[in-house]
Amino acid sequence: MDQDRRNDWIWFGSLWAIFSAIGFYLVLGIDLLPAQWAHEAEIVDDAYILLMGLSIPIFAGVAAALLTSLLRFRVQVDDIPTEDGPPVHNNRNFVRLWVASTLILALMITVNPGFIGIAELRGEPSADIVVEVQAQRWSWKVNYENGAETFNQLYLPADRRVRFDITSLDLVHSFWIPGFRVKIDAVPGRVTYLYVTPEGVGSFEDDFNLRVQCAEICGLGHAQMAMPVTVLSPADFDAWVTDLAEGA
Amino acid sequence: MRQLLRAVIFGILGYLIGATLTWLVRGGSLGDEVCVVFGYVVGLVGWLFGIGMGDTWVREWFGLPARESDVTGWKRYLGFSTDHKVIGVQYLATFIVVLLLGGVAAMIIRFELAQAGEGILNADRYNQVMSMHGILMVAVAVAAILGSFGNYLVPIMIGADDMAFPRLNAVTFWLIPPVAIGLLAAPTLGSFDAGWTAYPPLSVVNNGGQILFVLAVTTFGLSSILGGLNVITTIVTMRAPGMTWGRLPIFVWAAFAASMISLLTTQFFAASLVLIAMDRVAGTVFFDGGAGGDPLLYQHLFWFYSHPAVYVMVLPGFGLVLETITHMSRKPLFAYKAVVVSLLTIAGLSVIVWAHHMFTSGMAEYLHGPFMFATEMISVPTGVIFLSAMATLWRGKLWMKTPLFFAMIWIFQFLMGGVTGIFLADVVTDVSLHDSYFVVAHFHYTIMGGMIFAFLTGIFFWFPKITGRMINDRLGIIFALWLTIGFQLTFLPQFWLGTNGMNRRIADYPDQLEGANLFSSISAFFLGGSFLLLIYILLSAARRGPKAGDNPWNASTLEWQVSSPPPEHNFSGQPTVVGHPYGYGTADSRHAEFAGMTAVGLAEPEQAGTGEGGDNE
Amino acid sequence: MAMTTTPEAVHSRAEATYRPAANRLGLWLFLASETFLFSAFISSRFVVSGTDQPEHLNQGLALLLTLLLLWSSISAFRAEAAMAHDNRRLFHREMLTTIVLGALFLVGVGVEFNEALTDFPANTIYGSSFFMLIGLHAFHVLTGILALGVVWNLGRLGHYGSDNHWPVEGVVKYWHFVDLMWVAIYPTLYLFGGS
Ligand code: HEM
Ligand SMILES: [Cu+2]
Ligand SMILES: [Cu+2]
Repeated sequence: MDQDRRNDWIWFGSLWAIFSAIGFYLVLGIDLLPAQWAHEAEIVDDAYILLMGLSIPIFAGVAAALLTSLLRFRVQVDDIPTEDGPPVHNNRNFVRLWVASTLILALMITVNPGFIGIAELRGEPSADIVVEVQAQRWSWKVNYENGAETFNQLYLPADRRVRFDITSLDLVHSFWIPGFRVKIDAVPGRVTYLYVTPEGVGSFEDDFNLRVQCAEICGLGHAQMAMPVTVLSPADFDAWVTDLAEGA
Repeated sequence: MRQLLRAVIFGILGYLIGATLTWLVRGGSLGDEVCVVFGYVVGLVGWLFGIGMGDTWVREWFGLPARESDVTGWKRYLGFSTDHKVIGVQYLATFIVVLLLGGVAAMIIRFELAQAGEGILNADRYNQVMSMHGILMVAVAVAAILGSFGNYLVPIMIGADDMAFPRLNAVTFWLIPPVAIGLLAAPTLGSFDAGWTAYPPLSVVNNGGQILFVLAVTTFGLSSILGGLNVITTIVTMRAPGMTWGRLPIFVWAAFAASMISLLTTQFFAASLVLIAMDRVAGTVFFDGGAGGDPLLYQHLFWFYSHPAVYVMVLPGFGLVLETITHMSRKPLFAYKAVVVSLLTIAGLSVIVWAHHMFTSGMAEYLHGPFMFATEMISVPTGVIFLSAMATLWRGKLWMKTPLFFAMIWIFQFLMGGVTGIFLADVVTDVSLHDSYFVVAHFHYTIMGGMIFAFLTGIFFWFPKITGRMINDRLGIIFALWLTIGFQLTFLPQFWLGTNGMNRRIADYPDQLEGANLFSSISAFFLGGSFLLLIYILLSAARRGPKAGDNPWNASTLEWQVSSPPPEHNFSGQPTVVGHPYGYGTADSRHAEFAGMTAVGLAEPEQAGTGEGGDNE
Repeated sequence: MAMTTTPEAVHSRAEATYRPAANRLGLWLFLASETFLFSAFISSRFVVSGTDQPEHLNQGLALLLTLLLLWSSISAFRAEAAMAHDNRRLFHREMLTTIVLGALFLVGVGVEFNEALTDFPANTIYGSSFFMLIGLHAFHVLTGILALGVVWNLGRLGHYGSDNHWPVEGVVKYWHFVDLMWVAIYPTLYLFGGS
């Protein structure tokens, strides 16, 4: 390899290293994700950060290749180009290597956070409590196991695994709690499920992402189709839900 | 002109006749959706009859000779021309206008979103403007490159004198104006507000404008199918002698792969819309969960087309960008065969990944894994495209004119789109990100970054061929940088907005998200401004740009060996293809020859020094 | 080989070489595309209502319609063969037979629709699929009849001969295709499932 070509690769390598370093610094140094309010949020965020971590060297590599090309391979042309580049049509081994590495990378992320993440997120199909949710333009109705019912308010116990049974009376809506990082559509004629284990005690007043937000367009009130979520300690929750059922 | 006038009159008459007859038969009022449906259908027939089918096909059906249009000059562009170059330019002009219209809607949307709370638009109006923006832009994305460059370049590149079915080609284009009219007329019936995806039951119960959406978009689908059919037939049957499959310019391959997709999957979108129309006007219950129907049926049908559709958008873009890169860096396209295999693999895989849009839809969970896996696999052939682009640049002789600038920026923009797509293909992260602004940012990187940037690459690269004039390169580069910076500043913050709890398709959002939204809006206006520069660049170059000559880039493929713009029927003699399309750097390499060929697209090897190789008188 | 010719001469020479292949491929692509349209609707039927069937289905009429259509395919085939052998009279007769059979089919569909309106109206899920599929198919039969009519008329006027009858061939292929789609729709609605 002659000196000139070696220099190309040195440029590329150094730029790649620099860009990757900047990338990692930015991604890991800055808090990009909001507060986690559920066990599921940790799983999702871990997957997110893993994918971010994997993409940084990819971005950095492409950016480095482009910048190296721009800086080292540009030529001054007056009128019409008279000089061609080297007649390289292919480099089979390089293509094979490239395909193999992208394939391995794709398989890797399919396994983790892919399949492993799905298994973790879904967990066991068992729940401590079941909460029924009914969507109807543009509000939510919530039924708890003991007959208690709330309207546009969702109360949950911390550290208990909750199953939501969700349906809709009119259109497709979507039940999204950004603080929990989970969502599932509410579909007329079907019941959809969602498992979450809230963590930490708090309410919409503490974090606006502790809310159920409709995420599937449903007309006029779509943006406002949200209800605050309040996570209580298990004891407080039990007291609250019994009070409500008896008061009713 | 005469044809156009006649078409408009017949179209209107047809509408009135269809609507009135329906009204007479069934009563009710003239504004009922059934009347609109039949009015539209008869109107469409009238329009097509008036624009030129009446002069050609219909006369032949009755055994009369066709009356070919004899207009010349610029008037051809306003009539039923069967010349593929005219049709290509018609597409180009039409979709630039639609792009600008969609852009105006985008500016209105971002103005509304600059601040939390209700501003200039109430929630209803917002949904309508957003839906209009979405469907106009999707139409641009699907048809702009294939329609304009597909028509203009494919026949010349393969050494043919026109498309296989020139009249069908004209009909394909003239189906587009009714689409635009249908969509833009929707406000008369109360607009459509269900987004471009038009999910039922919302799209079954909302305002009457939705029926116009359904009709217009179905028409658009018909146009896509016919266009795809024509491109494929042309490529298969009309290649010049010697133009083997291994010598096709890469854009032709890309157009071929994309056309395959539109030919075979668009039906599913049409079918899903027809079912909506039936639910609306015929009283069927396909999407009525209460009566045994299933809203998810629509989503399956819809995405069975609409995921492949994103490849209809970007595959031709790949083609334009790769062409530009190989010509402007004066190196053969790296790994040509692998790229071809990748294009076809992407087209094949694209039909088995649709349900990655439905991970949170409530469909059966055992489907999640397979669809995630299939989706991740698409990154492998897509990676090959990136490899080819970058390896072609590597050690080339980069002639940094505007088209190459755009092509290189494209690589990075589309990479952003592709990598963020992995987040949405992964079930775990998608459960959080689906239907949030993360998705909005993602698809703008893929569609705007991947398709519009490629479209602009193509416009800047082939402008001299189409108009015979050069573009002001300095302004072109300023535009490229302006657009890119504006684009990044507008859409980068939206990834953050998505992860931080902003859902899409909303006119109002929590106050805490105001800062990033304001930033994105201001950047969007900055971005929007750059298009004024584009218009100036194009118009001023078309009117008084310096003459381009036949082969200003000294490129090797066939379209550069004919005059700019190319003559009628393209070639003065039958072209014969004798070699690889991108023989850069190889002495005496020739792609094709034909009688009367003037320009020669390859520079002599460095030491030859006779200096005549690249001349083009 | 590089003789100087006018573009127009090149144009018509090229046209002669690719035209038959282009026509044929174009038609096959169109039929492939149509197949996907039908499969979208047929699969919708299975997605929304599985193989459920209503109690009253006029099986006799459906069988009759199937036979009509199959017969018409045979006569269409014979018409094409007749033209290939320049046998105008036979072409004329078989074409007419095909068109009449197609029209009878449409009449049958009308009867069928009328019964369906009371037995399983459009606002039941089977009724939805029924009207959609039969309607789609009937529309294709209608276009087929119109196309047959055009070709029949042009054949009568002497526009075709044994070496020049692509439109006849094309329309007849389309007719076979429409027939084939019925062969898929008929079991979808009448035979699968049920009691
Ligand atoms: C001028 C720059 C642009 C800006 C500022 C912009 C902005 C927006 C905004 C704010 C939305 C609403 C997102 C939501 O609430 O879901 C949107 C939606 C959309 N945009 Fe753009 N956009 C631009 C250009 C484009 C281009 C060039 C394309 C495609 C070629 C495009 C395609 C779409 C689509 C498909 C939607 C989805 C509409 C729907 O959800 O039905 N946009 N855009
Ligand atoms: Cu909603
Ligand atoms: Cu997709």
